[in-house]
Amino acid sequence: MTSRREFLTRVATGSAALALGGGATSAAAQQRGAMHDSSIVRDTTNLFAMDQSAAKAVRLPPKPNAKPLLTNAERDELEHKIRCQCGCTLDVFTCRTTDFSCQVSPAMHADVLALVQGGYSAQEIIDGFVSTYGERVLMAPKKSGFNLLAWFTPGVAVIVAGTLIAVWLRRWKNEPPPVAAASTFTTVDATPDELARLDAAVRGDDRE
Amino acid sequence: MILIGELSLWVALLMAAWSATVSYAGGALRRNDLVSSGVRGLYATFAMILLASVGLWTALLTKDFSLEYVASHISANMPAVYIFTAFWSGQAGSMLFWALILSMYGTIAIATSRSRNRELVPWATGTISAILLFFIATTCFKANPFVRLDFLPVDGRGMNPQLQNPGMAIHPPNLYLGYVATAIPFAFAIAALFSRRLDAEWLGVVRRWTLLSWFFLTIGIILGMWWAYVELGWGGYWAWDPVENSSFLPWLTNTAFLHSIMIQEKRGMLRKWNVVLVVVSFLLAIFGTFITRSGVIESVHSFAQSPVGTWFATFFFLATGITIYLVGTRLQDLEAKVELESMVSREAAFLYNNLVLVGIAFAVLWGTVFPILSEWATGNKITVGPPFFNTVNVPLGLLLLALTGIGPLIAWRRASVSNLKRQFAAPAAFGVVVAAVLFALGMHAVYALVAYALCGFVTGTIVQEFYKGVRARQTIHEESLIPAFVHLVGRNRRRYGGYIVHAGIVMLFAAFAGLAFKTENDVTLKTGETFDVRDPYGHQWRFISQGVSTSNRPDRDVIAVGLEMFRDGKRLGIITSEKRQYLDSQHQTLFQPITQVGIRSTAQLDTYVVLAGVRGNDVAELRVTFNPLVVWVWIGGFVMMIGGLIVMWPQAERRPAQAGYAATIRTPRAEAELPVGV
Repeated sequence: MTSRREFLTRVATGSAALALGGGATSAAAQQRGAMHDSSIVRDTTNLFAMDQSAAKAVRLPPKPNAKPLLTNAERDELEHKIRCQCGCTLDVFTCRTTDFSCQVSPAMHADVLALVQGGYSAQEIIDGFVSTYGERVLMAPKKSGFNLLAWFTPGVAVIVAGTLIAVWLRRWKNEPPPVAAASTFTTVDATPDELARLDAAVRGDDRE
Repeated sequence: MILIGELSLWVALLMAAWSATVSYAGGALRRNDLVSSGVRGLYATFAMILLASVGLWTALLTKDFSLEYVASHISANMPAVYIFTAFWSGQAGSMLFWALILSMYGTIAIATSRSRNRELVPWATGTISAILLFFIATTCFKANPFVRLDFLPVDGRGMNPQLQNPGMAIHPPNLYLGYVATAIPFAFAIAALFSRRLDAEWLGVVRRWTLLSWFFLTIGIILGMWWAYVELGWGGYWAWDPVENSSFLPWLTNTAFLHSIMIQEKRGMLRKWNVVLVVVSFLLAIFGTFITRSGVIESVHSFAQSPVGTWFATFFFLATGITIYLVGTRLQDLEAKVELESMVSREAAFLYNNLVLVGIAFAVLWGTVFPILSEWATGNKITVGPPFFNTVNVPLGLLLLALTGIGPLIAWRRASVSNLKRQFAAPAAFGVVVAAVLFALGMHAVYALVAYALCGFVTGTIVQEFYKGVRARQTIHEESLIPAFVHLVGRNRRRYGGYIVHAGIVMLFAAFAGLAFKTENDVTLKTGETFDVRDPYGHQWRFISQGVSTSNRPDRDVIAVGLEMFRDGKRLGIITSEKRQYLDSQHQTLFQPITQVGIRSTAQLDTYVVLAGVRGNDVAELRVTFNPLVVWVWIGGFVMMIGGLIVMWPQAERRPAQAGYAATIRTPRAEAELPVGV
C-alpha cells in the first residue's frame, strides 16, 4: 500500500516533470544539433560500455612525391582488418559506417586516409597502427611467433584426431570383440537374433 | 507477494542444500527414505523458486521502484511485455531465471523417470540439486534481485531501446532454456558414473533432454542472429563475439551427441564418448555463462563486471574437476561389445561427423580463449576476430556439410560398393551440376563453388531419401503422394525429422556462402543526389536521396533519410533509415542513439541501408550493403525448428515395419507408451 506521503511525493514529482516538459523541447532541439555534430554526450548505462577517448594518433610524415597506393575499395578492405578501439569489437570500416556516435572509428579512419595520401602501402599502414596500439588493433593475430599456435592448433588437432580415429577404426575392425563380462555396466546390445533381423533389414534398405 | 518471494528464495536455498545432501547420502547408503526425501526436496525447491519468481514479476509489473533491480531495468512508460521480460534482462533476474528453469526441468526429469531409473535417480537428483544450490546461492549472496534501495526513485532507468525488440524478448529465454537443459543429461551422466549403470533408460532420458537443449539453443541462436541483423546495423548476423561463441559451443557438442547416440542405440558402441560429450556440453554451457558474467573476455554482450564471475569460475573448475575424476576413474567400465565391421559404414561416417563437430567446437573455444592465453604467455594483448574464425572454420564447415550428405547414404555396419554407387550417383551428379551452372554463370570463388556443390549434393541426398521412402510407401500401402509423405514422416519421425533439419542446415550454408559476395558502399548524398551501383548479381541499382528529416516524438528524437530505389530502371519504392535518440519522461537522453536499419528483403538478396551520420542539414552519410541470400538464414532456422519438433514429438506407436531397426533399444518407456491392446 502506498502511504499518503508517498502518494503526494509522486504527484509532486510527476507534475514537476510535466512542468519541465516545455523547456525540454528546446533541450531536445539542442540534442538534435548535437546529434548532427556527432558530439552527443554519452552515458554509460547502455549495453556497450564504450571508451570514446581510445583513439591515439597514428601519423607518419608523407613520403616524398607521395601518391596514394590504395584505391578506395582497397582502403575499405584495409579498414576491415583494423579494429575500432571504442569497445564495440567491430572493425573500423563497419563501426564508422554504423555507429555515428562513435568518435574513435572516424579518428582512426582519418589516420588511415592521411597515411594513404602520404603514399604508404597497406602493410606499412597496418604496421603503423600496430606500433601505436599494439597487436590488439588487428582483427586477427599475425601469423607469427606465439600466435602461430592460435592459427594452427585447431587444424592440427583435427588432423591428429582424425588419424587416431582411422587407426582405431582399423584396429577395432580387426580385433575380436572384448569379453562382455569385463563390463559392469548393464549393456543394451542386440541379441544375435535381433542382429540377424537388423542385417536383413539393412539389406532390405539397400533394395529400396 | 514481493516479501514472500524474497523469503522463498532463502527457503529454496535450504531446500536445495537438503536435497543435494540427502540424495547423495541416499544413493551411497542405498536408503530409500533419504532418496525420497531428496526428490521431495527438489520438488519443494522448484515450488519455492516459482514463488520467488512470482514475487519478482509482481515487483516488476507493479513497478515497485524501491527494488534496485526494478529501478535499474524498467521505467514507468515501458510496454508491459518488456516489463515482463525485464525479469531476465539483468544479472540478478537472469540468475533467478536459470534457477527457475533448472528446478522446473529437474522436477519434470525426475518425476517422469523416477519409477524407471531407480539406480540413477538419487545421483541425478543430487547433482541437479547441487547445481541448483550453486545458482540459488549466487542469486542470494551475489546477485539478489530483491535488494532494496534506501530511497524511492520517481522512475526507473528503463531498458535499452535496442533490447525492446520482439526478437530480444524471446532470444534470451530460449538460450537459457537450451543452456539449462544441458544440466539434465549432465546429471544423468554423473549418475551413470556414480552408479556404474548405463542402460537403455539412461539413453532415453539423456537423448530427450539433449534434443530439447539443442532445439532451444537453435531457436535462441537464430533469433539472436536476426536481432543483431535488424537492430544493430553493422550489416551482419554473426560476429564471432565470445558470447555468441559460447552459445554455439554447447550447440555443437549437443549436435555431435545427437548423432553419436544413434550409434550407441543401434550398435552399442561409443558409450564412453557419449558420456564425455554430455558432460562437456554442460561444462561449456557453464563456461559460456562464466564468460558472459565475468567480463574476462571483451564482449559487447557482457553484463557489468561483478563478483558473480568469481563464483562461476569456482563452480566451473569444481564441476570440471569432479567430472574429470569420475570420468577418469569409472569410464573404463563402459565397454563396447560390438566390433566395427567396415571402415565404410554409417558408424564411421558418424565418427567423423563427431570429429568435425567437436573440431569446430574446439577451434571456436580456442579462438575465444586465445587472447587470455596470449596475454598470459607473452604479455601481448591481441584480438581474435572474425577473420580468424572464418579462416579456421570454413574448411571444417564444408567438411561437415559433406558428411551431412554422406552419413545418411552409407548403410549401417558395412556398405557394399554397389550400394555406394547406387546411393551416391544422383546426389553427387546434382552437386556437380549445381557447381557447373554457377561456374558458367560467372561464380569463380573456390570456397563458394565447393559450398554450393556440397549444398546441391546434400539436397540431392535428402530428396532421394524422401523420394525412395514415399515410393516405397506408395507401392506397399497403395497410398497417394501426400498421404504417403505424411505417413512416411509420421512413422519415422526421428529419421525424416532429422533430414528436415539437414535441409535447414543446407539453407544456412547456402546463405553463409552468399556472404562471400556481399558488397558494401560508403556513400555521402545530398538531397536529390544519386548513387548508382551494381549488385552482386549484376543488376543496376539507383538510389536518390529524398533528404534528411528530423522529428520529435514523445519518447524520442529522430533523424531519418529516405532513398528512392530503382533496380534496372524499375522503381521499387522508398527505403528509409533512422537514428533515434530515446528520451525519458523528462526529455533527458536515455542510452546511446540507435540505428533503425532500412532493409528490403528478397530471396536473392537484402538491400541494407544504414544512416551512419548527418553533416550540415541535408548531407547523409550512408552505408548501402547488398547482402545476398540472408533471408535463407531465417528460413533455414525455421526449417530446422520444424525438423526438431518432428524429431521431438513423442512416437507413441509400435513400429513393426521397422524391424530393420530391431537393434533399436526398445525401452520400457516406449512400451509403456503403447496404446492398450497393441
